Amino acid sequence: MLQILVYGAVISSIYALLAVGFTLIFGVARILNLAHGAFYALGAYGAYTLTANAHLPLWLAAILSVLLVGGFGVLMERILVRPLRRSMLAVLLITLAVALMVEQVLLLIFGSEARNVPSMMDVTYHFAAVDISGQRLLALGGAIIVLICLWLFLQYTRIGSAILAIAQDAEAAQYMGIATDRMYSIVMGVSAAMAAIAGVLVAPFQTVIPGMGLLPLVKSFAIVVVGGLGSIAGSIIGALLLGFSETIIAFKISIEWSQIVSVAAVLITLVIRPAGFFGKRGAF
Amino acid sequence: MKIDWLAAVLALAALAAIPLVFTSSYIIGVMTVAVCYGMWAASWDFMSGLTGRDNFGHSLFIGAGAYTAGFLNVEFGANPWWSLPAAPVIAVLFSLLMGFPTLRLRGPYFALAMLSAATVMQNLTIIFSVYTGGQDGLNGLFPILDSTLAYYYLTLAFLAASAVLLKALANSSWGVILRAIRGDEAACQAAGINVTFYKIVSLAISAAIAGLGGALYAHYQLQVGPDLFAVVLSINIIIMVYVGGIGSIYGPIAGAIFLNVLTETLRGLSEYRLWVYTLVLMLILFFLPQGIMAPLWQRLRARLA
Amino acid sequence: MMELLEVAGLNKHFGGVHAVKDVSFALPAGSITGVLGPNGAGKTTMFNLLTGFIRADSGSVRFDGCSLAGLAPHAIVNRGVARTFQLARPFTGMSVLENVQVACLAPRVRHRGKPRERANVLLAQVGLGERAQVEVDVLPYGDLRRLEIARALATSPKLLLLDEPFAGLGVTEVGPLAEVIRALHRSEGLTILIIEHKLREFMQLVRNVIAMDFGEVIAVGAPAEIVQNPRVIEAYLGTAPIDA
Repeated sequence: MLQILVYGAVISSIYALLAVGFTLIFGVARILNLAHGAFYALGAYGAYTLTANAHLPLWLAAILSVLLVGGFGVLMERILVRPLRRSMLAVLLITLAVALMVEQVLLLIFGSEARNVPSMMDVTYHFAAVDISGQRLLALGGAIIVLICLWLFLQYTRIGSAILAIAQDAEAAQYMGIATDRMYSIVMGVSAAMAAIAGVLVAPFQTVIPGMGLLPLVKSFAIVVVGGLGSIAGSIIGALLLGFSETIIAFKISIEWSQIVSVAAVLITLVIRPAGFFGKRGAF
Repeated sequence: MKIDWLAAVLALAALAAIPLVFTSSYIIGVMTVAVCYGMWAASWDFMSGLTGRDNFGHSLFIGAGAYTAGFLNVEFGANPWWSLPAAPVIAVLFSLLMGFPTLRLRGPYFALAMLSAATVMQNLTIIFSVYTGGQDGLNGLFPILDSTLAYYYLTLAFLAASAVLLKALANSSWGVILRAIRGDEAACQAAGINVTFYKIVSLAISAAIAGLGGALYAHYQLQVGPDLFAVVLSINIIIMVYVGGIGSIYGPIAGAIFLNVLTETLRGLSEYRLWVYTLVLMLILFFLPQGIMAPLWQRLRARLA
Repeated sequence: MMELLEVAGLNKHFGGVHAVKDVSFALPAGSITGVLGPNGAGKTTMFNLLTGFIRADSGSVRFDGCSLAGLAPHAIVNRGVARTFQLARPFTGMSVLENVQVACLAPRVRHRGKPRERANVLLAQVGLGERAQVEVDVLPYGDLRRLEIARALATSPKLLLLDEPFAGLGVTEVGPLAEVIRALHRSEGLTILIIEHKLREFMQLVRNVIAMDFGEVIAVGAPAEIVQNPRVIEAYLGTAPIDA
């Protein structure tokens, strides 16, 4: 029982990181970013290369990796996405192209065997007959801290308010002099960085393979749809719901069934309450 | 107009002639698959290309059609010919199930719902492996015709019939309404048109042909698997439509055949295949959003007329 | 005698905003009436309620004796109520002729003749006969306005709702368009309801005016009276007085 609680919490926090990043870029820029999983994978691989090849200390490698991926996200938005913004389908396809490219590049450079990223905390804790690795707890804590920082950023900085304004009404924000184009790049950078942080945090205990970004992408998407496209609170709640229901089902029934939760939830939501359970109606 | 039908007949003749020139069964196989993709691409284009309501889960109908063929033939031992009427019917049922709740709404809900529905079906076929054979799927379907050459001509005939049907509809007042839906749905309502009805029926037509293509594919491969519901398939089809020329019906068919042949030619360079695909995609999106085939034909036709 | 359109107690809230408040009025058949009011008065919202694009919180709308409650927009059009939009909404990517053709395919009028032929006739009626093959994407705004009216006419309505038909038109374009509307009123015997801001042409076009402010009907009467009405003047406080 405690195990479910802890594992569920860890998974949920990582999902929350991913989902919030995904919903940010969608809510603000209407970009359905299929490369979101690629950012996650790049974060993990970045941490790996910088520690294994550049021999940097893990904490430095982690920070660098996140910054690099964030920058990559900004570049992608500026060069590839911006010219295609009129068509949602075109944006979807181009981000897909990026995701495919990234996976191919990773495959070419690193091959398909799983890579080993050292843990930041090599300790294992024991609580009431449950073993939990320190790294997982770190992931949980890290994710929570990042989310809080994001919230503070959105609420209390000028750029943050600008982002929220655009998410509410992009046209009105433009009339008020907010440089929406530049904001989109910033938001993409933040979104990519958050995905990268998730990748870095889980790299020590997840399988690091080139295709590792696909499932997280699907989950982020599912959470965001259920929570409401563009709603940060919805994404967090959705992440908790998904994380815990997956953990419970995986423990009690089977892993296969747990994988269907996310997609089934999407379908049900779209049919019953398309704007998501916490999204604004007519967010489009 | 005449020149279009003439060109179509010529293209059909060319497709029919290919196996007579290149007599290997490998080529016939590639072309049969390409023809199936042609049906899938054309049917996607009819609904999404014309109305602009993008469908990210076309594979739902393909898989539905294919598995219908699989069940009827393998589980119930029915004569394989039964797959051909049954598959479209099941696919249409799926389209109605999905279409009714989601096509009423504006925004990307329809697109996303289709995407998730296809993925749900993929997962379900894996989970209920007792009935569906799981990852391995259903094997041992019987071919409809014993000669692969004859079967190629059968699928080609179905492609031609579908193309004629879809193009005729697209050129009729039905097509005018679908394009108006793409232009402005609210204005369409204000013009007295029951937009939801047209969207749902168009989706059903699209599903029927896709499902038929699925069954034809199943009876060629003689097996069906969960991959037929995969998102990858839906995306590949959309890429083919883009390459061919969205909205033209015949362009996507050309795009489908072209890309199938291209991928087969590159089969030797298996790692680079994905690169090629992705590069083609990027090129089209940035430089040729109207596609390649349809605009080429329009230019040619202007010269000839 | 029953009026063509009877609206009673129409209400609509958007969150905390009471956009349309207890609106009631009646339109006799064959009348040409104006709806006047500053921005945000609820005029377009009322149009949207009448034509089914938004659902009312309460109130009734009876057209030709039948209730329009709960009907979808296209169903209302097929009962004989047509509308134009505040911002022109053409079917992009299609020609002028095709735009009107679509409306000729509405069930109400589908069998009244070949859509293409009817469309051509309608275009001539609004003065767009020469521009049938032009792509709407390149059409000047004044012509887009006429196209909207042609499209609305195509469904053979008994009641025509025009939402700011003169908005965005240059000084020289207003007169001709007013003439088109006047001619249609005479020849087709249409009942017309027009939303507009203060405008000389508009006041000369309509027989009766419904003035709105903050979602409510504040005055009803002939143009000459409405212009003198203190509440109406107050609603326009800060802008030049209406001169008719």
